[in-house]
Amino acid sequence: MDAIWQQLPQQLINGLTLGGVYALIAIGYSMVYGILNMLNFAHGEVYMIGGFAGWWTLRLLSQNGVPILHPLAVISLIIVVAMGVSGLLGMLIERIAYRPLRRAPRINLLLSALGVSIFLQNLVLNYQGAKVRFFHIGGLIPDSLQVIRIGPVVFSFMRVLVIVICLTLMAALTLVIKRTRLGKAMRATAQDVEAAAYMGIDVDRIIVVVFLIGSALGGVAGALVGLLFTQVDYYMGFQAGLKGFTAAVLGGIGNIGGAMLGGLLLGLIESLAVSFFSATYKDVVTFIILILVLIFRPWGLMGEKQPEKV
Amino acid sequence: MPADTSFSTTTSPRVWLNWLVFAAILLALPVIMPNSYWLRIYALTGIYVMLALGLNVVAGFAGLLDLAYVAFFGIGAYTFALLSSSQFNLHLPFWLALPIAAVVTMACGFVLGSTSIRLKGDYLAIVTLAFAQIFKLLLLNLDQPINITGGVNGIYNFDVIAFGPWQLFSPQAYAYLIWGAACLIIIGSFRIKRSRYGRGWEAIREDELAAAAMGVNTVWMKLMAFAGGAFVAGGAGAIFASFQDSVFPNNFDFPQLVVVYCMVILGGLGNIVGVIGGAVLLTVLPELLREYGAWRMMTYGLILVLLMALRPRGLFSHIPFLTRRRARPDKAVGNRLQASTDLYYADAQPERTLTPATADGQAGRELLFLQNVSRHFGGIAAVTDLNFKLYQGEILSIIGPNGAGKTTLFNLISGIYAPSSGAIIFNGRDISRDRPHQVNRAGIARTFQNLRVFPDMSIIENVAVGRFGRTQAGPLSILLRLPRHRREESDTLQRARRILSLFGARLTGYRHHQRASALSYANRRRLEIARALATDPKILLLDEPSAGMNPQETIEITRFIRQLRDRFGLTILLIEHKLNLVREISDRVIVMDYGRRIAGGSYAEVACNPRVIDAYLGKQRG
Repeated sequence: MDAIWQQLPQQLINGLTLGGVYALIAIGYSMVYGILNMLNFAHGEVYMIGGFAGWWTLRLLSQNGVPILHPLAVISLIIVVAMGVSGLLGMLIERIAYRPLRRAPRINLLLSALGVSIFLQNLVLNYQGAKVRFFHIGGLIPDSLQVIRIGPVVFSFMRVLVIVICLTLMAALTLVIKRTRLGKAMRATAQDVEAAAYMGIDVDRIIVVVFLIGSALGGVAGALVGLLFTQVDYYMGFQAGLKGFTAAVLGGIGNIGGAMLGGLLLGLIESLAVSFFSATYKDVVTFIILILVLIFRPWGLMGEKQPEKV
Repeated sequence: MPADTSFSTTTSPRVWLNWLVFAAILLALPVIMPNSYWLRIYALTGIYVMLALGLNVVAGFAGLLDLAYVAFFGIGAYTFALLSSSQFNLHLPFWLALPIAAVVTMACGFVLGSTSIRLKGDYLAIVTLAFAQIFKLLLLNLDQPINITGGVNGIYNFDVIAFGPWQLFSPQAYAYLIWGAACLIIIGSFRIKRSRYGRGWEAIREDELAAAAMGVNTVWMKLMAFAGGAFVAGGAGAIFASFQDSVFPNNFDFPQLVVVYCMVILGGLGNIVGVIGGAVLLTVLPELLREYGAWRMMTYGLILVLLMALRPRGLFSHIPFLTRRRARPDKAVGNRLQASTDLYYADAQPERTLTPATADGQAGRELLFLQNVSRHFGGIAAVTDLNFKLYQGEILSIIGPNGAGKTTLFNLISGIYAPSSGAIIFNGRDISRDRPHQVNRAGIARTFQNLRVFPDMSIIENVAVGRFGRTQAGPLSILLRLPRHRREESDTLQRARRILSLFGARLTGYRHHQRASALSYANRRRLEIARALATDPKILLLDEPSAGMNPQETIEITRFIRQLRDRFGLTILLIEHKLNLVREISDRVIVMDYGRRIAGGSYAEVACNPRVIDAYLGKQRG
């Protein structure tokens, strides 16, 4: 038992990093769900492609494992490219696969999303192969920062960076939603698409923006995971998508603050499950949480229970 | 009049002929297959046909997005593998292991269903996906601490199928066995689709709430869909395991699920022939295009997206000679063009058809009693401390301005909402906690203000759904066409026809087979009343029955409502805004405003009550 308690601070740090990533993914689910009431199955794949975009950027900017620019510039570029690629991809998906179905039954929309997800996953499989791609981050962080030791807790600079980036992005998003004209339009559309349209809001544009932002955040998450765990593969989006969705549901789907909270919470739970339970079944723990929340509190921790309309 | 094939419980000679041709082809194919490779594909196609038809029950008939479906396939296969191999040295014979595997899987389907069945569309999908992931993780990891599933290596080397002295292992024999099983599933699919179960599922898929209000036990029916689909998947899994002589976790992974979904969607959700076609197409085509193997899954993804955008009802929908022709809406029997309003007046008096409900009680008895009923939504009190009695054989109207809580009141009585406090006593029993289908079966039927007919079902099927709660045939009875099922089906059809004939020619003849979505607004109102009548109610709750009707039609519906009471002994509770109608037929009127009862009595009394005038016209100043 003592060994486990000693590990605790370490696991908390790990959980926080992982949670930040989950939160970024969860935000994309929640934003789309808030407006279209649909589960964007393809979101996990957008995240995966963000990871690949990051990997590709790093490879372009490195020679023999050494970055050709200042490390901070490289990391910034990785993030910008991942955001751009994923954001555009999200917009494209909305345009092609979801917009034609806006009036169709929900099951059709969901199946279309499933189709996009399979398509993207296998597209990457066909072009990149099934093998894992490595991020050579050795040159990005000076040796003195590779391992930071505070008491018994050991962590890399990369973890700090990931946490900082996640929190910054979440804060920025909160500002956009709470303080800007665009944010107001987004909130209005989320409450009632039709009424928003009658008030002169270009709902189609808002939906595109929502996909852009949500997917860009998902893409960053992919790139950050690449930097953190130094590898990406075509299949990573499936699990991460489920985790992100779990986080979104845990916090209360449609609620962006909830998505952030849910993500951080899920990351912590998962890290603790690894130390107290077993690494083999850590995903089982996540899925059981998902199932329990959906069955007993489907509106999540921060969402509101809504009566069924008749 | 076209035959009511959707209610038929016998097989017509034409259908027999189709079956014979189909069977002959199935028997001939293994003989003429060029080599064992294609024989294998042929057998595999049969397994996919079964799998796709099982999924068609869950996703097609009942409209449930079950993403754990392939896990059930896996449960069946692994159960068989454990029972019929050296893994635990059980070595059960095939004919015993197969049904056990199917039943175990069905039980798993039932359990999974009961945990998650109340979840709506997307949530159900994600929960089942989570279950599928847990299943896969278990398959992969349960080789320790004791070896159950064999981990990545799976389980292999099963006992040879033996029936007495015969051993069955040649590819031909497997092909016949598999397609024999597939034929059973095909026949079963057709039978269940054209039964009260099939109609119940379709109703749930189209409008779950309306289905519940018409007496369909939606939770139970969805569970049955889950369990039925799991049963088929489990059986198919066991046969697949025996055929492949091994099972691996990869056989039951997400891509497999996608393939089966593509088959069902390509064929059209719920379309049996289409789904069979989809399964055949998507098993054979990839084999023909083998060198493009890497692109297969990508193509499946693309197929899903394109189908949903372009042909959401499947590849085979709306192809003239493949789909049943529906009668032209504007042409009646004899091909004469006519307008529907002419038809009504040309028709004779409606026959006396419904059994009077007064048999079990004298008029004037207290039938429904609302005791201090309140309902609030968050801070909003929609109904507050409502008290009233409804007497047998009376017509009581509820009026009041918009937002007065009238429709909420109906939702409370019919079990859609539970009251926050108070009791609703029907026939001496408190029904305030009953679910909608229970309220309906107790004898209270309703219509909806915002029209909730089942748009894609035919008119006669819409009414037949109303019989769901009054019929009992279970799956076995339906699959084996036992006498009870036959009797109930013909009874359902007759009653539905008779009830529809109450509306003159407006809803009869060629209209029986029209989709409800083709009906005019007023006719949909009539159809809703017909559907409610089919549930044999004692009390009928009508929510704005004359909305959307012209003055002539309003007079007609007024008469009709009175007839329901006078001739058929129904007790009627009515919400209506057209005060002429209310004055015409009400014995008593209750006026509501802001969720409270503000007046009650005869129409004349409430009409000059100052509080009512205030509520309708606003307070006079000064």
